[in-house]
Amino acid sequence: MKKGYLGFFVSLFLLAGTAWGDAIKIPVASPFTGQLASFGEGVKNGALLKGSEINASGGIRGRKVKIVLEDELCDPKEAATVATKLANDPAVSIVVGHLCSSATLAALPIYRAAKLPAISPASTNVSIGKMSPFYFRNVYKDDFQGLFLAKYAHFVKGYKKVAIFYEVNDYSMGLMLAFMKEAKKLGIKILGTEAYTADTTDFKPQLTKFKMMKPDAIFIPGYAPQGTLIVSQAVSLGIRNAGFFGADGLDDDLMLKNPDAEGLFVTTPFLPDKAGPRAAGFIRAYRKAYGKDPNWFAANSYDAVGLAAAAITAVGQDRVKIRDYLASINTREKAYEGVAGKTYFDKNGDCLKDAFVKEIRGGKWVSAQKQLRQ
Amino acid sequence: MGPLHELLDQSSLFLQQLVNGITLGGVYALIAVGYTMVYGVIQLINFAHGEIYMLGAFLAYTMVTVLHLPFFVAFILTILLCSCFGILLDFIAYRPLRQAPRLAALITAIGMSIFLQNLALMIWGSQIKSFPRELLPAVFSRPALVLGEITVSWLQIFILTITVLFMAILHFIIHRTQVGTAMRAISHDKVTSALMGIGVNRVISFTFAVGSAMGGMAGILVGLYYNAIFPTMGYIAGIKAFAAAVLGGIGNVPGAMLGGGVLGIAEVLGAGYISSEYRDGISYAVMIAVILFKPSGLIGKPTGDKV
Repeated sequence: MKKGYLGFFVSLFLLAGTAWGDAIKIPVASPFTGQLASFGEGVKNGALLKGSEINASGGIRGRKVKIVLEDELCDPKEAATVATKLANDPAVSIVVGHLCSSATLAALPIYRAAKLPAISPASTNVSIGKMSPFYFRNVYKDDFQGLFLAKYAHFVKGYKKVAIFYEVNDYSMGLMLAFMKEAKKLGIKILGTEAYTADTTDFKPQLTKFKMMKPDAIFIPGYAPQGTLIVSQAVSLGIRNAGFFGADGLDDDLMLKNPDAEGLFVTTPFLPDKAGPRAAGFIRAYRKAYGKDPNWFAANSYDAVGLAAAAITAVGQDRVKIRDYLASINTREKAYEGVAGKTYFDKNGDCLKDAFVKEIRGGKWVSAQKQLRQ
Repeated sequence: MGPLHELLDQSSLFLQQLVNGITLGGVYALIAVGYTMVYGVIQLINFAHGEIYMLGAFLAYTMVTVLHLPFFVAFILTILLCSCFGILLDFIAYRPLRQAPRLAALITAIGMSIFLQNLALMIWGSQIKSFPRELLPAVFSRPALVLGEITVSWLQIFILTITVLFMAILHFIIHRTQVGTAMRAISHDKVTSALMGIGVNRVISFTFAVGSAMGGMAGILVGLYYNAIFPTMGYIAGIKAFAAAVLGGIGNVPGAMLGGGVLGIAEVLGAGYISSEYRDGISYAVMIAVILFKPSGLIGKPTGDKV
């Protein structure tokens, strides 16, 4: 795998080298080092793969594409620095990024002021689209994710009583509110909500309360490092018959090390074996280049680079024209057909995409047998 | 659900929270003892003590997962190693500053704490580690006592037994042995003790060894109990245990035990009944309230110029 990786980079470098002078730059901004580097790796791999495929098939209007990786560590301050650099570079006409919602929110006003369009492959915070006409994303929002989870819990799992254990941050609370709103409509009873902060390791007092409520399931709209502790502490307290589920924040291989997490399910924007025929070639090429299956970060950034390239192909490198082009992709018929489904934007630049469910079986992430179609 | 059921549910909820709180309190007490002993002997708040606790957890984790030692062997080896770390810490960082102003040693303690935290970060990385269950004694994951909705696990019983046992041993050492008498003498007056022929540095080393052993042990127990071992775990636990030591009366060993217990129960009941977001706030508020009304702590003796 390592060898293939190296060869891939060398070939990419050579490809870029042949047309160095007039290559079209597409910057990709994400955390590539630091705590969330594992999330950023998918973004990097997907973007580089799409870039090399575009170049292999003749580039854009006869010019090569150069994917420029910009590391911002998921840190809002770094994101703002990167955004300023990109906004002031006349060779940059569109940005793919950022990954974390907090980084996207920090970069957003800078791109807006510079009239520089950007596509985020991964930021799900609800307010991003409304804040700038220049921001687009090819991932669903947290309000949709919460709603979808409520429907799945009701229609597929048949849960009647759910307890919610959320982290005190925008992502987690947004998910919880969306879930509760839909749960109320569907008649799922919310037995109780409890909160924790990111530095907590003792979840037993709150879980003890949940135990007395006898929920059918516990919804954890947080991140995997705490999620895995919550699950094993719940089981050690004797909460045995309750299911556990969460959103994309729990979608991390860290969960797989926990034997108590068997059966836990999460939402995800992309599943290799549920993706349409369009994705087959992508999955094959990805496996060949990186020796593993693409995750949703890879699929979405592959599509985001594809969208950016489509825009430049259609209208050239004028920032405002690219923005108008992206905004015009506003119906299902005009949608960009990507490997992670169709992307088309509403008036805010947000998109409506399918969500999938995957669960832990035998210590591995597998696609849930029953998926829910919209 | 009838009112009787409601009452039963409420009381078993309370009892379960109490069991959780006592377990947590036992762990705080184990760490707090290390702070309070060192403070009693050399009037130094050893901020690197929380890092010894963290190292204890990581060492046991490494012995179990990498060296494949049986858990109880790893447990004992870790405790011995932590004692050595404690002695080493004193030798490298504090002994050269024995005659220096107390502030210098305090700042060194903070420096050692940061150093050890980053060392652990380099060796083990920032991701949370947990003991793989199949490498632990199977009895740990079994409930020992199930009374309706109340579950007491063997692990909780193990933690409490260890805590009580080592507190008793400690009490014996301090009050019934020669080295304990020397410790108490030094805590009263270092210079006079030295003049009386007590090897002050040897006794201080011993104090660090015992305190660090208890701290390292607490680290393993917490790593087991919460399934979480990470480089910054010593920071919060250290602050809490320090609060427990102050609450009980710093420099006072039974006080540290009492303080740990009160703090653990207050924290868990606060999280369970008032607000889980502000659980740390609640436990510190309890500490501040005690200090306001009784500045020397729950059972600390008032002293003229120690603080």
